[in-house]
Amino acid sequence: MTDDPEAPPTPEETLRLIERQQAATVRQLKGEPLLLYLPWGVAWLIGFGAVFLHFGLDGRGLAPISQMQAVGVLQGAQVLAGAFAGFGIARRSRLVRGDASARGAMTGYSWAAGMALMIVICVRLSVALPEEEAQILWTGASLLVVGLMYMMSSAAWLEWPMFFLGAWTIAVDATGVMLGAGWQALLVAVLVGGGFIAASLWLRRRP
Amino acid sequence: MTADATPPPELDPVIHAQARLRVVAALNTLGDRDEMAFPALKDLLGMTAGNLSVHLTKLEDAGYVRITKTHKGRTPVTYVGLTKRGRLAFDEYTRAIRALLDHAGGSS
Repeated sequence: MTDDPEAPPTPEETLRLIERQQAATVRQLKGEPLLLYLPWGVAWLIGFGAVFLHFGLDGRGLAPISQMQAVGVLQGAQVLAGAFAGFGIARRSRLVRGDASARGAMTGYSWAAGMALMIVICVRLSVALPEEEAQILWTGASLLVVGLMYMMSSAAWLEWPMFFLGAWTIAVDATGVMLGAGWQALLVAVLVGGGFIAASLWLRRRP
Repeated sequence: MTADATPPPELDPVIHAQARLRVVAALNTLGDRDEMAFPALKDLLGMTAGNLSVHLTKLEDAGYVRITKTHKGRTPVTYVGLTKRGRLAFDEYTRAIRALLDHAGGSS
């Protein structure tokens, strides 16, 4: 007996309906990739692109841009990306309450703590370092926090793409640190920035 | 035992209505202690508030969902979560549907 005229017709159709509904729900609860990933990709592509133009690959800059200006571009782009991501996270967190909100809060505070400690360490050490080493330290340490946080957050949400993005970030970061400031900026701009852009588009298209 | 001798399993009439099935399927993706805000559920399912309320009331009467009305600041917010009983009913329903599918497929 059903009191609803629109009972699903066949078992196949019913199963498909269930799967479609569950996939749509999971997608919605994960948040909008174009807000959560794309802005960071664009910010790093532009920001680290500017840092790369300052350093070049052989120690000679490719454009008349000072380190302060390049870092300014990077910071500005990251602030904008943070605003987009913050909007995406706020929108997502309104959907559900319970353990999911606790996980979100713990992850958020971990980001803040990691970034705060990273800044303290870099500020303390970079004053004693030459320009290039200071840049390597800032980029290397900040991406260490980013990569680790993505990998650890993936464990909280069981999100494999997030895990691989984090691992990718750490691998590129490690390579960049060994190669020097110019290469580091270029690799991070293209491979991490580009990686986040590609991931956001792929996540968006995923059924 | 032949396929013909196996009667199709009874399908839970509360869930076996497309709208309520979608509600339960959506809520089943949440963690045990997670609840979805009413407007989010309404948008996700593309239902009107009135329509969704009617279906939620039926699900609540069956003990499948818990509806919590609370306040966020001054704004009233309603959250909906699947109860243990609702989760169990959904699991049994999907099992029954799969059994029907096997049955229709002529398993012997």
